Amino acid sequence: MNHAIISCLHANLPAVEAVLNDIDKQGIDTITCLGDLVGYGPQPNEVVELIRKRGIATCQGCWDEDIIDGLNACECSYPSQLAERRGHLAHQWTDDQLTDENKSFLASLPTSLRRDRLLFVHGSPNSQHEYLLPDMDAFAALERVETAGADILFCGHTHQPYVRELRDGSIRVRLQNAEHGNDQGEELTLPMRKIVNAGSVGEPRHGSTNATYVIHNDATDEVEIKEVDYDVDRTCQAIVEAGLPEVFAWRLSHGFEFAEQAEDASHVCER
Amino acid sequence: MIERWALVSGLRGDLETYDLIQRDLKKTRGVTALFVLGDLVGPERNCDALLDRLRNPHRGDLKPDCIYGWWEEQLLAERGFRGERKADALRLSQGEDAVSALLNTVNPSHLKWLASLQFGFIELDCALIHGSSSDVGDNLTSKTSPLILLDRLTRLNVNRLFTARSTKQFHLELTGGGINSQVKDLNGKREQQQEVPKRSVIGIGAGLNYTLYDIGSDKTHFLTAGSKTNPKGKGFA
Repeated sequence: MNHAIISCLHANLPAVEAVLNDIDKQGIDTITCLGDLVGYGPQPNEVVELIRKRGIATCQGCWDEDIIDGLNACECSYPSQLAERRGHLAHQWTDDQLTDENKSFLASLPTSLRRDRLLFVHGSPNSQHEYLLPDMDAFAALERVETAGADILFCGHTHQPYVRELRDGSIRVRLQNAEHGNDQGEELTLPMRKIVNAGSVGEPRHGSTNATYVIHNDATDEVEIKEVDYDVDRTCQAIVEAGLPEVFAWRLSHGFEFAEQAEDASHVCER
Repeated sequence: MIERWALVSGLRGDLETYDLIQRDLKKTRGVTALFVLGDLVGPERNCDALLDRLRNPHRGDLKPDCIYGWWEEQLLAERGFRGERKADALRLSQGEDAVSALLNTVNPSHLKWLASLQFGFIELDCALIHGSSSDVGDNLTSKTSPLILLDRLTRLNVNRLFTARSTKQFHLELTGGGINSQVKDLNGKREQQQEVPKRSVIGIGAGLNYTLYDIGSDKTHFLTAGSKTNPKGKGFA
Protein backbone atom coordinates (compact mmCIF):
# COMPACT_ATOMS: atom_id res chain seq x y z
CA MET A 1 0.00 0.00 0.00
CA ASN A 2 1.21 3.48 -0.81
CA HIS A 3 1.34 6.12 1.88
CA ALA A 4 2.51 9.71 1.68
CA ILE A 5 4.89 11.58 3.95
CA ILE A 6 4.96 15.37 4.14
CA SER A 7 7.16 17.67 6.21
CA CYS A 8 8.09 21.28 6.93
CA LEU A 9 4.85 22.93 5.87
CA HIS A 10 5.89 26.26 7.36
CA ALA A 11 2.57 28.05 7.29
CA ASN A 12 2.43 28.05 3.49
CA LEU A 13 -1.22 27.30 2.78
CA PRO A 14 -1.12 27.31 -1.06
CA ALA A 15 1.72 24.77 -1.00
CA VAL A 16 -0.02 22.54 1.56
CA GLU A 17 -3.28 22.60 -0.40
CA ALA A 18 -1.48 21.76 -3.65
CA VAL A 19 0.37 18.81 -2.10
CA LEU A 20 -2.72 17.41 -0.40
CA ASN A 21 -4.60 17.69 -3.73
CA ASP A 22 -1.79 15.82 -5.46
CA ILE A 23 -1.89 13.06 -2.83
CA ASP A 24 -5.69 12.84 -3.05
CA LYS A 25 -5.56 12.50 -6.83
CA GLN A 26 -3.46 9.36 -6.42
CA GLY A 27 -5.97 7.78 -4.09
CA ILE A 28 -3.62 7.73 -1.13
CA ASP A 29 -5.42 8.11 2.16
CA THR A 30 -2.65 7.46 4.66
CA ILE A 31 -0.60 10.60 5.19
CA THR A 32 2.03 11.24 7.85
CA CYS A 33 3.33 14.70 8.61
CA LEU A 34 6.79 15.22 10.11
CA GLY A 35 6.12 18.57 11.70
CA ASP A 36 7.08 22.22 11.35
CA LEU A 37 3.53 23.23 10.54
CA VAL A 38 4.40 26.82 11.39
CA GLY A 39 7.27 29.28 11.10
CA TYR A 40 8.50 31.52 8.26
CA GLY A 41 5.18 31.49 6.42
CA PRO A 42 2.12 33.75 6.64
CA GLN A 43 -0.74 31.30 7.35
CA PRO A 44 0.06 29.37 10.55
CA ASN A 45 -3.52 29.03 11.81
CA GLU A 46 -4.87 28.03 8.42
CA VAL A 47 -2.25 25.30 7.98
CA VAL A 48 -2.65 23.89 11.51
CA GLU A 49 -6.42 23.86 11.10
CA LEU A 50 -6.20 22.08 7.75
CA ILE A 51 -3.98 19.35 9.21
CA ARG A 52 -6.32 19.00 12.18
CA LYS A 53 -9.40 18.89 9.94
CA ARG A 54 -7.87 16.19 7.77
CA GLY A 55 -6.83 14.17 10.83
CA ILE A 56 -3.29 13.74 9.52
CA ALA A 57 -0.98 11.89 11.92
CA THR A 58 1.71 14.43 12.80
CA CYS A 59 4.84 14.56 14.90
CA GLN A 60 6.24 17.73 16.38
CA GLY A 61 8.86 19.74 14.51
CA CYS A 62 11.45 22.11 15.91
CA TRP A 63 9.35 25.19 15.12
CA ASP A 64 6.26 23.62 16.69
CA GLU A 65 8.32 22.82 19.78
CA ASP A 66 9.83 26.29 20.02
CA ILE A 67 6.46 27.99 19.72
CA ILE A 68 5.28 25.98 22.72
CA ASP A 69 8.44 25.92 24.84
CA GLY A 70 9.86 29.29 23.89
CA LEU A 71 13.08 29.97 22.07
CA ASN A 72 15.41 28.05 24.31
CA ALA A 73 17.29 26.13 21.67
CA CYS A 74 20.98 26.90 21.46
CA GLU A 75 22.42 28.96 18.62
CA CYS A 76 22.98 25.84 16.52
CA SER A 77 19.35 26.10 15.46
CA TYR A 78 20.35 28.88 13.10
CA PRO A 79 23.25 28.92 10.67
CA SER A 80 24.16 32.55 11.30
CA GLN A 81 23.35 35.52 13.52
CA LEU A 82 21.39 37.18 10.72
CA ALA A 83 19.34 34.05 10.25
CA GLU A 84 18.82 33.88 14.00
CA ARG A 85 17.53 37.47 14.08
CA ARG A 86 15.11 36.74 11.23
CA GLY A 87 14.08 33.52 12.92
CA HIS A 88 13.31 35.35 16.15
CA LEU A 89 11.17 37.86 14.27
CA ALA A 90 9.24 35.06 12.61
CA HIS A 91 8.92 33.26 15.94
CA GLN A 92 7.42 36.33 17.61
CA TRP A 93 5.05 36.97 14.69
CA THR A 94 3.89 33.35 14.66
CA ASP A 95 3.47 33.32 18.43
CA ASP A 96 1.27 36.42 18.20
CA GLN A 97 -0.87 34.97 15.40
CA LEU A 98 -1.50 31.41 16.61
CA THR A 99 -4.70 30.79 18.53
CA ASP A 100 -4.52 29.10 21.91
CA GLU A 101 -6.38 26.12 20.47
CA ASN A 102 -3.81 25.68 17.72
CA LYS A 103 -0.95 26.09 20.19
CA SER A 104 -2.51 23.35 22.33
CA PHE A 105 -2.63 21.13 19.27
CA LEU A 106 1.08 21.72 18.55
CA ALA A 107 1.88 21.03 22.21
CA SER A 108 0.03 17.71 22.01
CA LEU A 109 2.09 16.36 19.11
CA PRO A 110 4.44 13.43 19.79
CA THR A 111 8.14 13.72 18.93
CA SER A 112 7.97 10.51 16.92
CA LEU A 113 5.49 8.12 15.36
CA ARG A 114 6.11 4.44 14.76
CA ARG A 115 4.35 1.97 12.50
CA ASP A 116 5.95 -1.44 12.75
CA ARG A 117 9.45 -1.04 11.30
CA LEU A 118 8.86 2.51 10.10
CA LEU A 119 9.84 5.43 12.32
CA PHE A 120 8.74 9.00 11.63
CA VAL A 121 10.56 11.99 13.18
CA HIS A 122 11.16 15.61 12.31
CA GLY A 123 14.96 15.90 12.61
CA SER A 124 16.40 12.68 13.98
CA PRO A 125 15.49 10.20 16.70
CA ASN A 126 17.84 12.18 18.96
CA SER A 127 16.40 15.63 18.49
CA GLN A 128 13.96 17.69 16.46
CA HIS A 129 16.91 20.01 15.80
CA GLU A 130 19.40 17.51 14.40
CA TYR A 131 19.96 17.59 10.64
CA LEU A 132 20.36 14.27 8.86
CA LEU A 133 21.94 15.53 5.66
CA PRO A 134 22.23 13.25 2.62
CA ASP A 135 26.03 13.12 2.74
CA MET A 136 26.56 12.89 6.50
CA ASP A 137 28.86 10.20 7.86
CA ALA A 138 27.26 6.92 6.78
CA PHE A 139 27.99 5.10 10.04
CA ALA A 140 26.49 7.93 12.09
CA ALA A 141 23.45 7.91 9.82
CA LEU A 142 23.06 4.16 10.26
CA GLU A 143 23.46 4.52 14.03
CA ARG A 144 20.49 6.90 14.14
CA VAL A 145 18.23 4.35 12.40
CA GLU A 146 19.57 1.26 14.15
CA THR A 147 19.57 2.66 17.69
CA ALA A 148 15.98 3.75 17.19
CA GLY A 149 15.05 0.18 16.31
CA ALA A 150 13.73 1.01 12.84
CA ASP A 151 14.29 -0.38 9.36
CA ILE A 152 13.33 2.85 7.64
CA LEU A 153 13.61 6.29 9.19
CA PHE A 154 11.47 9.06 7.72
CA CYS A 155 12.67 12.57 8.53
CA GLY A 156 12.51 16.15 7.32
CA HIS A 157 14.11 19.32 8.73
CA THR A 158 16.76 19.70 6.00
CA HIS A 159 14.21 20.80 3.37
CA GLN A 160 16.08 18.63 0.86
CA PRO A 161 14.33 15.42 -0.17
CA TYR A 162 16.42 12.28 -0.57
CA VAL A 163 16.45 8.53 -0.11
CA ARG A 164 19.61 7.04 1.34
CA GLU A 165 20.19 3.32 1.44
CA LEU A 166 22.95 2.15 3.81
CA ARG A 167 24.15 -1.36 3.04
CA ASP A 168 27.02 -3.91 3.04
CA GLY A 169 28.36 -2.44 6.26
CA SER A 170 30.77 -4.03 8.69
CA ILE A 171 33.05 -2.97 11.53
CA ARG A 172 36.03 -5.01 12.71
CA VAL A 173 37.13 -4.61 16.31
CA ARG A 174 39.98 -5.90 18.44
CA LEU A 175 40.29 -5.85 22.17
CA GLN A 176 43.70 -4.78 23.41
CA ASN A 177 44.78 -5.56 26.93
CA ALA A 178 42.05 -8.15 27.36
CA GLU A 179 41.73 -9.16 31.01
CA HIS A 180 41.70 -12.83 30.10
CA GLY A 181 43.65 -14.35 27.24
CA ASN A 182 45.01 -12.80 24.09
CA ASP A 183 43.71 -9.93 22.06
CA GLN A 184 40.45 -10.86 20.39
CA GLY A 185 39.23 -9.77 16.99
CA GLU A 186 35.70 -9.92 15.66
CA GLU A 187 33.60 -8.42 12.92
CA LEU A 188 30.13 -6.97 13.23
CA THR A 189 27.98 -7.17 10.12
CA LEU A 190 25.72 -4.15 9.92
CA PRO A 191 22.12 -4.34 8.79
CA MET A 192 20.77 -2.63 5.69
CA ARG A 193 18.75 0.44 6.61
CA LYS A 194 17.15 3.37 4.83
CA ILE A 195 16.67 7.06 5.56
CA VAL A 196 13.95 8.87 3.66
CA ASN A 197 13.83 12.64 3.84
CA ALA A 198 10.52 14.11 2.72
CA GLY A 199 11.94 17.52 1.85
CA SER A 200 9.66 20.48 2.44
CA VAL A 201 6.13 21.36 1.40
CA GLY A 202 6.22 24.98 2.47
CA GLU A 203 9.83 26.09 2.13
CA PRO A 204 11.77 23.99 -0.38
CA ARG A 205 15.54 24.39 -0.39
CA HIS A 206 16.51 21.86 -3.04
CA GLY A 207 17.01 24.37 -5.82
CA SER A 208 13.46 24.51 -7.10
CA THR A 209 10.38 26.35 -5.89
CA ASN A 210 8.23 23.23 -6.12
CA ALA A 211 6.90 21.70 -2.94
CA THR A 212 8.17 18.18 -2.27
CA TYR A 213 6.91 15.10 -0.47
CA VAL A 214 7.48 11.36 -0.76
CA ILE A 215 5.39 8.27 -1.39
CA HIS A 216 6.48 4.99 0.16
CA ASN A 217 5.12 1.60 -0.77
CA ASP A 218 5.22 -0.52 2.36
CA ALA A 219 5.09 -3.78 0.39
CA THR A 220 8.02 -3.08 -1.95
CA ASP A 221 9.77 -0.36 0.09
CA GLU A 222 10.05 1.72 -3.06
CA VAL A 223 10.13 5.45 -2.48
CA GLU A 224 9.16 8.14 -4.95
CA ILE A 225 10.10 11.78 -4.44
CA LYS A 226 7.30 13.99 -5.68
CA GLU A 227 7.47 17.64 -6.76
CA VAL A 228 4.35 19.79 -6.86
CA ASP A 229 3.98 23.15 -8.50
CA TYR A 230 1.94 25.71 -6.59
CA ASP A 231 1.25 29.44 -6.56
CA VAL A 232 4.54 30.65 -5.04
CA ASP A 233 3.76 34.29 -5.80
CA ARG A 234 0.62 34.15 -3.70
CA THR A 235 2.59 33.03 -0.64
CA CYS A 236 5.40 35.51 -1.29
CA GLN A 237 2.90 38.35 -1.45
CA ALA A 238 1.26 37.20 1.79
CA ILE A 239 4.68 37.10 3.50
CA VAL A 240 5.39 40.69 2.54
CA GLU A 241 1.89 41.87 3.47
CA ALA A 242 2.17 40.19 6.87
CA GLY A 243 5.32 42.17 7.61
CA LEU A 244 7.53 39.12 7.83
CA PRO A 245 11.18 39.51 6.69
CA GLU A 246 11.14 39.91 2.90
CA VAL A 247 14.04 37.51 2.53
CA PHE A 248 11.61 34.70 3.38
CA ALA A 249 9.70 35.57 0.21
CA TRP A 250 12.93 35.93 -1.77
CA ARG A 251 14.25 32.53 -0.84
CA LEU A 252 10.86 30.90 -1.36
CA SER A 253 10.91 32.24 -4.90
CA HIS A 254 14.41 30.78 -5.45
CA GLY A 255 14.12 27.44 -3.70
CA PHE A 256 17.21 27.50 -1.54
CA GLU A 257 18.31 28.82 1.81
CA PHE A 258 19.64 32.34 1.54
CA ALA A 259 23.42 31.95 1.22
CA GLU A 260 23.82 30.58 4.70
CA GLN A 261 24.81 27.05 5.59
CA ALA A 262 25.13 25.51 9.03
CA GLU A 263 28.79 25.31 10.00
CA ASP A 264 28.26 22.02 11.79
CA ALA A 265 25.05 20.55 10.55
CA SER A 266 25.48 17.34 12.52
CA HIS A 267 25.63 19.24 15.79
CA VAL A 268 22.89 18.24 18.18
CA CYS A 269 21.17 21.06 19.99
CA GLU A 270 21.89 20.75 23.72
CA ARG A 271 19.15 22.19 25.88
CA MET B 1 61.42 10.54 26.16
CA ILE B 2 58.31 8.67 27.24
CA GLU B 3 55.30 10.89 27.86
CA ARG B 4 52.36 9.43 29.70
CA TRP B 5 48.98 10.54 30.90
CA ALA B 6 47.43 9.12 34.05
CA LEU B 7 43.64 8.73 33.86
CA VAL B 8 41.60 8.33 37.01
CA SER B 9 37.90 8.29 37.83
CA GLY B 10 35.34 7.09 40.36
CA LEU B 11 37.14 8.27 43.47
CA ARG B 12 33.79 9.15 45.05
CA GLY B 13 35.33 10.99 47.97
CA ASP B 14 37.97 8.36 48.69
CA LEU B 15 41.06 10.38 49.63
CA GLU B 16 42.99 7.27 50.60
CA THR B 17 42.68 5.86 47.08
CA TYR B 18 43.69 9.17 45.57
CA ASP B 19 46.71 9.29 47.84
CA LEU B 20 47.75 5.77 46.76
CA ILE B 21 47.46 6.78 43.10
CA GLN B 22 49.55 9.91 43.68
CA ARG B 23 52.22 7.77 45.38
CA ASP B 24 52.20 5.35 42.43
CA LEU B 25 52.57 8.21 39.97
CA LYS B 26 55.55 9.63 41.84
CA LYS B 27 57.31 6.32 41.21
CA THR B 28 56.32 6.17 37.55
CA ARG B 29 58.45 7.66 34.80
CA GLY B 30 57.15 10.08 32.26
CA VAL B 31 53.75 10.97 33.68
CA THR B 32 53.15 14.53 32.60
CA ALA B 33 49.43 14.91 33.21
CA LEU B 34 46.78 13.57 35.55
CA PHE B 35 43.21 13.65 34.30
CA VAL B 36 40.40 12.91 36.73
CA LEU B 37 37.39 11.99 34.59
CA GLY B 38 34.59 12.70 37.00
CA ASP B 39 32.81 10.99 39.87
CA LEU B 40 34.95 12.85 42.35
CA VAL B 41 31.99 12.65 44.69
CA GLY B 42 29.58 9.91 45.68
CA PRO B 43 27.07 9.08 48.39
CA GLU B 44 29.18 6.66 50.44
CA ARG B 45 31.43 9.02 52.41
CA ASN B 46 32.14 12.66 53.08
CA CYS B 47 33.93 14.03 50.03
CA ASP B 48 35.21 17.33 51.38
CA ALA B 49 38.76 16.17 52.17
CA LEU B 50 39.24 14.76 48.66
CA LEU B 51 37.79 17.88 47.04
CA ASP B 52 40.10 20.06 49.18
CA ARG B 53 43.08 17.99 48.01
CA LEU B 54 42.06 18.13 44.34
CA ARG B 55 41.57 21.88 44.52
CA ASN B 56 44.72 22.48 46.57
CA PRO B 57 47.27 19.81 45.65
CA HIS B 58 49.97 18.88 48.15
CA ARG B 59 53.56 19.71 47.35
CA GLY B 60 54.81 16.94 45.07
CA ASP B 61 51.33 15.96 43.89
CA LEU B 62 50.80 15.71 40.17
CA LYS B 63 48.31 18.52 39.60
CA PRO B 64 44.95 17.05 38.60
CA ASP B 65 42.84 18.31 35.71
CA CYS B 66 39.26 17.41 36.56
CA ILE B 67 36.00 17.18 34.63
CA TYR B 68 32.58 16.41 36.03
CA GLY B 69 31.00 12.97 36.01
CA TRP B 70 27.60 11.41 36.55
CA TRP B 71 27.60 11.89 40.33
CA GLU B 72 28.56 15.56 40.05
CA GLU B 73 25.81 15.99 37.46
CA GLN B 74 23.26 14.57 39.92
CA LEU B 75 24.55 16.71 42.77
CA LEU B 76 24.63 19.90 40.74
CA ALA B 77 21.19 19.26 39.28
CA GLU B 78 19.68 18.71 42.73
CA ARG B 79 21.41 21.84 44.02
CA GLY B 80 19.87 23.95 41.24
CA PHE B 81 22.88 24.33 38.93
CA ARG B 82 21.18 22.67 35.96
CA GLY B 83 18.11 24.82 35.41
CA GLU B 84 14.87 23.00 36.02
CA ARG B 85 16.47 19.57 36.02
CA LYS B 86 16.92 17.72 39.33
CA ALA B 87 18.76 14.51 40.20
CA ASP B 88 16.09 12.55 38.36
CA ALA B 89 18.39 9.78 37.12
CA LEU B 90 19.69 9.10 40.64
CA ARG B 91 16.22 9.33 42.16
CA LEU B 92 14.89 6.88 39.59
CA SER B 93 17.71 4.36 39.93
CA GLN B 94 18.49 4.49 43.68
CA GLY B 95 15.66 6.35 45.38
CA GLU B 96 15.24 9.41 47.54
CA ASP B 97 17.63 8.19 50.25
CA ALA B 98 20.52 8.15 47.78
CA VAL B 99 19.77 11.72 46.78
CA SER B 100 19.76 12.82 50.42
CA ALA B 101 22.97 10.92 51.11
CA LEU B 102 24.69 12.56 48.16
CA LEU B 103 23.67 16.05 49.27
CA ASN B 104 25.14 15.38 52.72
CA THR B 105 28.56 14.33 51.47
CA VAL B 106 29.62 17.62 49.90
CA ASN B 107 29.94 20.95 51.65
CA PRO B 108 28.10 23.64 49.63
CA SER B 109 31.35 25.64 49.51
CA HIS B 110 32.58 23.19 46.84
CA LEU B 111 29.56 23.54 44.57
CA LYS B 112 30.72 26.53 42.56
CA TRP B 113 34.01 24.83 41.80
CA LEU B 114 32.25 21.61 40.81
CA ALA B 115 29.90 23.62 38.59
CA SER B 116 32.90 25.21 36.88
CA LEU B 117 34.26 21.84 35.73
CA GLN B 118 34.07 21.06 32.03
CA PHE B 119 32.18 18.24 30.31
CA GLY B 120 35.39 16.93 28.80
CA PHE B 121 38.81 17.67 27.38
CA ILE B 122 40.13 17.35 23.86
CA GLU B 123 43.86 16.69 24.00
CA LEU B 124 45.79 15.92 20.81
CA ASP B 125 43.39 13.64 18.92
CA CYS B 126 41.82 12.26 22.09
CA ALA B 127 38.57 13.04 23.87
CA LEU B 128 38.54 12.61 27.64
CA ILE B 129 34.97 12.41 28.89
CA HIS B 130 33.20 10.73 31.78
CA GLY B 131 30.52 9.12 29.62
CA SER B 132 30.67 10.05 25.98
CA SER B 133 30.00 12.82 23.51
CA SER B 134 26.34 11.82 23.76
CA ASP B 135 25.84 12.11 27.49
CA VAL B 136 27.72 12.17 30.78
CA GLY B 137 25.83 9.01 31.71
CA ASP B 138 26.58 7.12 28.52
CA ASN B 139 27.79 3.71 29.69
CA LEU B 140 30.26 2.49 27.07
CA THR B 141 31.91 -0.90 27.52
CA SER B 142 33.81 -3.36 25.34
CA LYS B 143 30.42 -5.00 24.69
CA THR B 144 28.77 -1.83 23.38
CA SER B 145 27.86 -2.03 19.70
CA PRO B 146 30.84 -0.86 17.61
CA LEU B 147 28.36 1.21 15.61
CA ILE B 148 27.56 3.22 18.73
CA LEU B 149 31.24 3.50 19.66
CA LEU B 150 32.06 4.78 16.19
CA ASP B 151 29.22 7.28 16.43
CA ARG B 152 30.53 8.64 19.73
CA LEU B 153 34.00 9.07 18.19
CA THR B 154 32.59 10.64 15.03
CA ARG B 155 30.57 13.22 16.94
CA LEU B 156 33.82 14.70 18.26
CA ASN B 157 35.99 13.83 15.28
CA VAL B 158 38.64 12.27 17.52
CA ASN B 159 40.64 9.08 17.12
CA ARG B 160 40.50 8.02 20.77
CA LEU B 161 37.78 8.35 23.34
CA PHE B 162 38.71 7.80 26.98
CA THR B 163 35.60 7.02 29.01
CA ALA B 164 34.98 6.25 32.66
CA ARG B 165 31.27 5.79 33.24
CA SER B 166 31.28 1.99 33.01
CA THR B 167 34.11 1.75 35.62
CA LYS B 168 35.61 -0.98 33.38
CA GLN B 169 39.10 -1.05 31.93
CA PHE B 170 39.27 -1.94 28.26
CA HIS B 171 40.90 -0.79 25.04
CA LEU B 172 38.78 -1.56 22.03
CA GLU B 173 40.22 -0.76 18.62
CA LEU B 174 38.12 -0.32 15.51
CA THR B 175 40.43 -1.92 12.99
CA GLY B 176 38.56 -2.00 9.70
CA GLY B 177 35.37 -2.44 7.76
CA GLY B 178 33.28 -0.15 5.66
CA ILE B 179 29.85 0.70 4.36
CA ASN B 180 28.25 1.50 1.02
CA SER B 181 25.45 3.93 0.56
CA GLN B 182 23.34 5.14 -2.28
CA VAL B 183 21.69 8.53 -2.25
CA LYS B 184 18.80 9.23 -4.56
CA ASP B 185 17.45 12.74 -4.88
CA LEU B 186 15.85 14.87 -7.57
CA ASN B 187 19.20 15.12 -9.37
CA GLY B 188 19.63 11.36 -9.71
CA LYS B 189 21.56 8.65 -7.86
CA ARG B 190 25.08 8.57 -6.48
CA GLU B 191 27.05 5.85 -4.74
CA GLN B 192 29.32 6.43 -1.76
CA GLN B 193 31.81 4.16 -0.04
CA GLN B 194 33.19 4.83 3.40
CA GLU B 195 35.81 2.96 5.40
CA VAL B 196 36.00 2.58 9.14
CA PRO B 197 38.76 4.86 10.41
CA LYS B 198 41.23 3.32 12.84
CA ARG B 199 39.98 4.58 16.17
CA SER B 200 39.76 3.40 19.77
CA VAL B 201 37.56 3.63 22.82
CA ILE B 202 39.33 3.17 26.12
CA GLY B 203 37.65 2.48 29.44
CA ILE B 204 39.93 3.82 32.16
CA GLY B 205 38.47 2.05 35.23
CA ALA B 206 37.46 3.55 38.57
CA GLY B 207 38.73 3.89 42.12
CA LEU B 208 41.97 2.02 42.63
CA ASN B 209 41.95 0.88 38.99
CA TYR B 210 43.43 3.57 36.78
CA THR B 211 45.07 3.85 33.37
CA LEU B 212 48.36 5.09 32.00
CA TYR B 213 48.42 6.13 28.37
CA ASP B 214 51.69 6.39 26.43
CA ILE B 215 51.16 9.21 23.97
CA GLY B 216 54.02 8.26 21.67
CA SER B 217 53.26 4.57 21.30
CA ASP B 218 49.46 4.70 21.74
CA LYS B 219 49.69 2.02 24.45
CA THR B 220 47.43 1.78 27.45
CA HIS B 221 48.42 0.22 30.77
CA PHE B 222 45.72 -0.80 33.21
CA LEU B 223 46.97 -0.53 36.78
CA THR B 224 45.76 -0.92 40.34
CA ALA B 225 47.02 1.62 42.84
CA GLY B 226 49.07 0.23 45.67
CA SER B 227 49.74 -3.14 44.03
CA LYS B 228 53.41 -4.15 44.17
CA THR B 229 53.73 -4.93 40.47
CA ASN B 230 51.93 -3.67 37.45
CA PRO B 231 50.12 -6.19 35.22
CA LYS B 232 53.01 -6.45 32.76
CA GLY B 233 55.57 -6.52 35.53
CA LYS B 234 57.95 -3.98 34.09
CA GLY B 235 58.44 -0.62 32.53
CA PHE B 236 57.08 1.70 35.19
CA ALA B 237 59.83 1.97 37.79
